[in-house]
Amino acid sequence: MQSLYRTVMVKKELSRKAKLSIYRIRELCQQFPHGITDQVIQNDMPHLEPQQRAAAINKLLSLGQLDLLRNSSGLLYRMKDAQSASKMKGSDNQEKLVYQIIEDAGNKGIWSRDIRFKSNLPLTEINKILKNLESKKLIKAVKSVAASKKKVYMLYNLQPDRSVTGGAWYSDQDFESEFVEVLNQQCFKFLQTKADMSRDSKQSPMVQRNSSFATSHEVWKYICELGISKVDLSMDDIETILNTLIYDGKVEMTVIAAKEGTVGSVDGQMKLYRGVNPVIQPTGLVKTPCGLCPVFDDCHEGGEISPSNCIYMTEWLDF
Amino acid sequence: MTAQEVRLCGLLLREHFGEVVEKVGTHLLRSGAQNLRTIIHETGLPLDLVKKSLCVLVQHGACNFRSGRKGPGCPTEYQASGDRILRILRYPRYIYTAKTLYGDTGELIIEELLQRGHMTMSSTVKTVADRLTQNMEEGRSMDYSEVTSAFSKLVETQFLQRCPPMGGARNTKDTTPGTPASTALLTPESFPDCYKVPHITLIGRGKRRHSSDDGEDQKSAKKAKMDPETHGDEGIYWQVNFERFHLHFRDQAVISAVANKLDQTCSEIVRTMLRMSEVTTSPSATCTKPLSANEIFRSLPASYNILRPILDQYLTLLVDDPMEFVGKAGESGGGMFVVNLHRALANLARATLESAVQERFGSRSARIFRLLLRKRHLEQKQVEDFAMIPAKEAKDMLYTLLSQNLVQLQEIPKTPDYAPSRTFYLYTVNQLPTARMLLQNCYKTVANLIERRLFETKESKRLLEKSQRIEAILASLQVSGAEPEQLTEVEEMITAPEKQQLESLRLHINKLDSAENQVDETMFLLEAYVSSTATSTA
Repeated sequence: MQSLYRTVMVKKELSRKAKLSIYRIRELCQQFPHGITDQVIQNDMPHLEPQQRAAAINKLLSLGQLDLLRNSSGLLYRMKDAQSASKMKGSDNQEKLVYQIIEDAGNKGIWSRDIRFKSNLPLTEINKILKNLESKKLIKAVKSVAASKKKVYMLYNLQPDRSVTGGAWYSDQDFESEFVEVLNQQCFKFLQTKADMSRDSKQSPMVQRNSSFATSHEVWKYICELGISKVDLSMDDIETILNTLIYDGKVEMTVIAAKEGTVGSVDGQMKLYRGVNPVIQPTGLVKTPCGLCPVFDDCHEGGEISPSNCIYMTEWLDF
Repeated sequence: MTAQEVRLCGLLLREHFGEVVEKVGTHLLRSGAQNLRTIIHETGLPLDLVKKSLCVLVQHGACNFRSGRKGPGCPTEYQASGDRILRILRYPRYIYTAKTLYGDTGELIIEELLQRGHMTMSSTVKTVADRLTQNMEEGRSMDYSEVTSAFSKLVETQFLQRCPPMGGARNTKDTTPGTPASTALLTPESFPDCYKVPHITLIGRGKRRHSSDDGEDQKSAKKAKMDPETHGDEGIYWQVNFERFHLHFRDQAVISAVANKLDQTCSEIVRTMLRMSEVTTSPSATCTKPLSANEIFRSLPASYNILRPILDQYLTLLVDDPMEFVGKAGESGGGMFVVNLHRALANLARATLESAVQERFGSRSARIFRLLLRKRHLEQKQVEDFAMIPAKEAKDMLYTLLSQNLVQLQEIPKTPDYAPSRTFYLYTVNQLPTARMLLQNCYKTVANLIERRLFETKESKRLLEKSQRIEAILASLQVSGAEPEQLTEVEEMITAPEKQQLESLRLHINKLDSAENQVDETMFLLEAYVSSTATSTA
């Protein structure tokens, strides 16, 4: 009887020691939220033998309370979030691994094939795990705007990145061309009225030109105040719209150096936009039907399509 | 010469000189330099007709001759110059310019010279004076001295030049029998007396020709040809200096572009600058000679009394403009400024290309085109992003532009085997080849317009002949003093629908004519741009 009691006591003692070490390690982890190395544990509890240390760490790992990480100098043990620890209860290691990979992908999301590469798990397993995680509402699938068939997975509560959803110009994977057109016209009208006002002011030419310029910040404020946009637009968005106006040939841009801190300046520069008139009238070639003819290359004298029987010319002449 | 150019030259020759000259001219254009025997053999025309056609072509400067390439003993070879024939299309513009600059007298001088090719000063003056007298009221006539002064002014501003003396080929044969014949074509400018007005004795007034002297007209015309009067300028023939007119058109294009983009005052400043450098700048120069702000201020027209600081501001504005019409070349004299001619031409050509794409394919395709011009090389995804056009539509537009060869595709392989999935495909626009392509399209368009005009005239030939006959009858009846009833009876021989048809025919022909002139403006811009790049790279 005594020997039993002793054995039990010994076991208890052992386990108590183990428990103590476990508690101690946990405290250390809480003390150092960035993670502790093996060395730190050893310094703290020098009497602890390496096997017992390893056993304690393994226990914590299996309980899911500790994270095992590797950095350049060796292994790191970090406290896991109590919340996330509770989430993963009941999931097995494979799911935890997949969850880890998706979490690392941040808000850009990760494609299922990439998950397969990173975890080396077979496709069927991956699909099962993904379905599992989705049903537990831990991850979600977001359709990418670049390739409409591709689905990227990311954590449930994260906002998808702009590159995936397309930013302000896309709503549910559709490019909003009318919205872009409306913005285009509004910006152009704003710049044009500004230019006309400055031209009518009849001041010296330098002042006239400078007052016809508008910074991108001014245009942004004007568009926000107009309130035609349901989505919040940033200054970069407005600049992309203004760039399309430049490609339409209606607006020109200059960059000036601005003091840091003036409103709207980015890295010490400000972009100025100004409405301009076209340089030439529509060219003479396009005033004839041949300039616009869709079958211009097929037209020969004596052929089926020729100047003599051209119906476009007949219409144009009778106009 | 491309096929389209040859076709257009043929049509122009046919309209102005007839079918025989057209045949000889197109044959020479297609086959290069040939001697007389070969021309006769290949065109199948009789000798005297070929000779006359060659004379006509040489008279108008469209054909040059020189001794054969194979040695001094070879017969002379004739070579047609297609550029000179294409100028025929621009005659109305030359005449109009002369009218705006030098009034009716200048207009008639240029018109006469364009019609005759080469003429002496005295015969030009006499003919123009007669024509002007014809249009004046009874009792007044045009003095020769006025016409002579207009002629001298035209020569001073280099719109007219002397024809190079034709004895060049023979001289080399006599003096250097052993050496091969020189192949360089002598330009009129290589002669020092190019713009010197000869001293002629020409006193008198224009003679009025009365319509009743039709028969006498013929005789007096013949008499004028064999007029033994000499005026001191025999052998000195004058021709129109097309290059000078082209420089003038180019200046006008730059000034109107500045007026469109900036404002009227800026265009006046640029006009002053160009006027000041008219004679000091060579035709193929990249930019004018530097002018100081002081000089510009002094030379501004008196009606524009702007203050000196304001002028400086305008000049700074011109320099800062992204189109770079004017550049700053130094700081002396208040700032030295030049007009960047080649860059202005390149900008105008680019605007022409953009306008052509816009009118033909729509403003969104024009946006893509301008985007590619600016950013040089872009992938398809980037094009969609920058232009903010939905992917499907952008793809469609890009492929349309690609099929019309306005946009080119550049492949950059990642692997040596050019596998499509591992290659970058970049879209790009090359301005110069696209401008050349558009120029060829212009030639084809003008040829189409001329053919349509000839077709419309041919269709209504019967009707036109009938109306001409009726007009002749009416005229003769009027002269012989017929009664009004007879006149109305003759007039009614043309029915109302026929009159309508004639009217619509007239409208059609006018429309086609004016369209030809409009396309010619585009042609001029593109030709000027292409030749400016050729000289700058040479």
